[in-house]
Amino acid sequence: MASRVRAPLSLVAAPAPREASDTELALALRAGEPWAVTEVWHRYAAMVLRMAERALGSRSDAEDLAQEVFYRVCARASSLRDPNSLRSFVYSVAIRLLKTALRYRRLRRWLSFHAPETLIDLSECKVDVEGRDLLRRFYVLLDRLSARDRLVFLCRRVESMTVEEIATAMELSESTVKRSLLHSSQQLSRWVKADAALAELAFVHVGRQP
Amino acid sequence: MSDDEPGESPALSRVTELLRDFPNAPTPSELDRGLSKVRTRLSAHREAPSAARKWASLGAVAVLCLILAAIATSWLRLRGPVAQKPIALSRMQGGQLLQGGYLAESGTLGMQLFFDEGSQLALTPGARGRLRLDGTAGARLLLERGSVSLQITPTPEPHWSVESGPFLVTVKGTDFTVGWDPTSELFELTLRRGRVVVSGPVVGDDFVVHPGQKLRVSLPKAETVIVEDRAASVAPPTVSSAGPAADAATVPTPTDENKVSANGGNASPPAAASSSRQRQWRGALASGEWDRIISEAEAGGIETTLEAATSEDLFALADAARYRRRLDMARAALLAQRRRFPSSPRAAEAIFLLGRVSELRPGGRAQALQYYDEYLGRAPGGTYAAEALGRKMTLVNESGSGARSIAEEYLRRFPHGSYAGAARTLLSVEE
Repeated sequence: MASRVRAPLSLVAAPAPREASDTELALALRAGEPWAVTEVWHRYAAMVLRMAERALGSRSDAEDLAQEVFYRVCARASSLRDPNSLRSFVYSVAIRLLKTALRYRRLRRWLSFHAPETLIDLSECKVDVEGRDLLRRFYVLLDRLSARDRLVFLCRRVESMTVEEIATAMELSESTVKRSLLHSSQQLSRWVKADAALAELAFVHVGRQP
Repeated sequence: MSDDEPGESPALSRVTELLRDFPNAPTPSELDRGLSKVRTRLSAHREAPSAARKWASLGAVAVLCLILAAIATSWLRLRGPVAQKPIALSRMQGGQLLQGGYLAESGTLGMQLFFDEGSQLALTPGARGRLRLDGTAGARLLLERGSVSLQITPTPEPHWSVESGPFLVTVKGTDFTVGWDPTSELFELTLRRGRVVVSGPVVGDDFVVHPGQKLRVSLPKAETVIVEDRAASVAPPTVSSAGPAADAATVPTPTDENKVSANGGNASPPAAASSSRQRQWRGALASGEWDRIISEAEAGGIETTLEAATSEDLFALADAARYRRRLDMARAALLAQRRRFPSSPRAAEAIFLLGRVSELRPGGRAQALQYYDEYLGRAPGGTYAAEALGRKMTLVNESGSGARSIAEEYLRRFPHGSYAGAARTLLSVEE
């Protein structure tokens, strides 16, 4: 009679949420573990919220977007092929939704008879009044960029993501990301330079930071 | 940044640096609230039966198809050769339409014209004009004398327009009265609803009139006057009951203008000539045209501008002057804001900004402190409350007085504010 080989059976305790690695967290999300939703939120929500607020210029819009991001991350965790890349997965969902939100804004502007004023809500931000003026003016310039160029610029220059990370998250080739970055940087530099008032305000503001 | 990446201007670098730091970290309560919403949505998602989701998807596809069909139909109707229904006169009271479209009055009560698509015209007694109905191209009223009230039903095509003396009024679907006196060469238009564009001498091309505004152009004086007439936007005049006196009232005297302004509550008194055009300085401010705002204010006379400009324009002028470091002008605009519109939210903001301006003036710190106190008393939860308290703390500390209590108050009220670091430093130094 052929001998049967039995795999050794052992009881492994689930890792404490705060000690779980990203891989363990991703696997727990896939398995529908309740603690994983809380943990993924606490681990990445602040990052997504701040990135969204910087990209959209509005805290309330950023909150809505972050909730949508985590809803999708948790609901579609089964589509995460590589459990080691949970962070990239969250980033890519966030960036895709940001792109949609920015495109929707542009479409709404295009469809509207009267171009709506850019609704930048900086009432909760911690910069001083001159800084807010400066940011409002800069968001007007950002609105002139396409959603893709704007996101590439913000991811690289503000979020300090690498070109490779941006390419993965936005599903673009690296050369496209570089081209987009070059284009957005040149455009913004030109617009800022042409807007002597903004440039002056930037100079004045940096000299007056508390 | 790697070497093969594009450089950027120093100003752009500064702004991106500021952008990087600007959002506050989310508070624990914000995070808890967000997590709770995500959980709620997830549980709803799990509990929803899959059949319902399928039906919802099918429904969404059906709605999408309907939307696409509607868009395609609209596009075909707009672009295609489908003929628009021409404007046609359905009935007329008080007169008749003669050869060449001449409107002949048969009584003394004026004329009223009703059109198929719902538009109505009412000419005051004694008014004379011609009506040209040009098929699908639209309808054009040539007003030779007197005034006419129009209630135009908005349609994509055809268009309505009114020629009144040398002026052309392009109608966008609206409710307004237009008058022309060929003797005194006085043109007047009161818009109650919608939007019209006026072209002609003095006003130039494409002068947009907004609801509640009365435009008066005097050719002999080369003068344009815009009066904010909020009453006009509420109660359209009933032309049918108007007698000769009403006709005379369509050409306002200076006394009439004063009455209109008084009725308008916050409305500004009319400014003369080109400076009286609606300035729309908020838009100019957003576009960085600060010098333009300042030069327009100077061209119209600073005193006149400060007395005539709207609250929004005054605020825009103050901002432009602040950015350009024209502190006296900024201060004057803010003081005018506070004096002329004392109960508006802008008045409170003006008090705070007066503090900022005072800080930049030599020896103005004591006055700045007074303004910050006044602002904090008036708007303790206002937009600039954290900023005002932070500036107050800084000024008091720099003057050598104890700012400890202010720093404590700041940290208690605004633990994540822009002056929180300074407040903590101040408290640790004092300890």
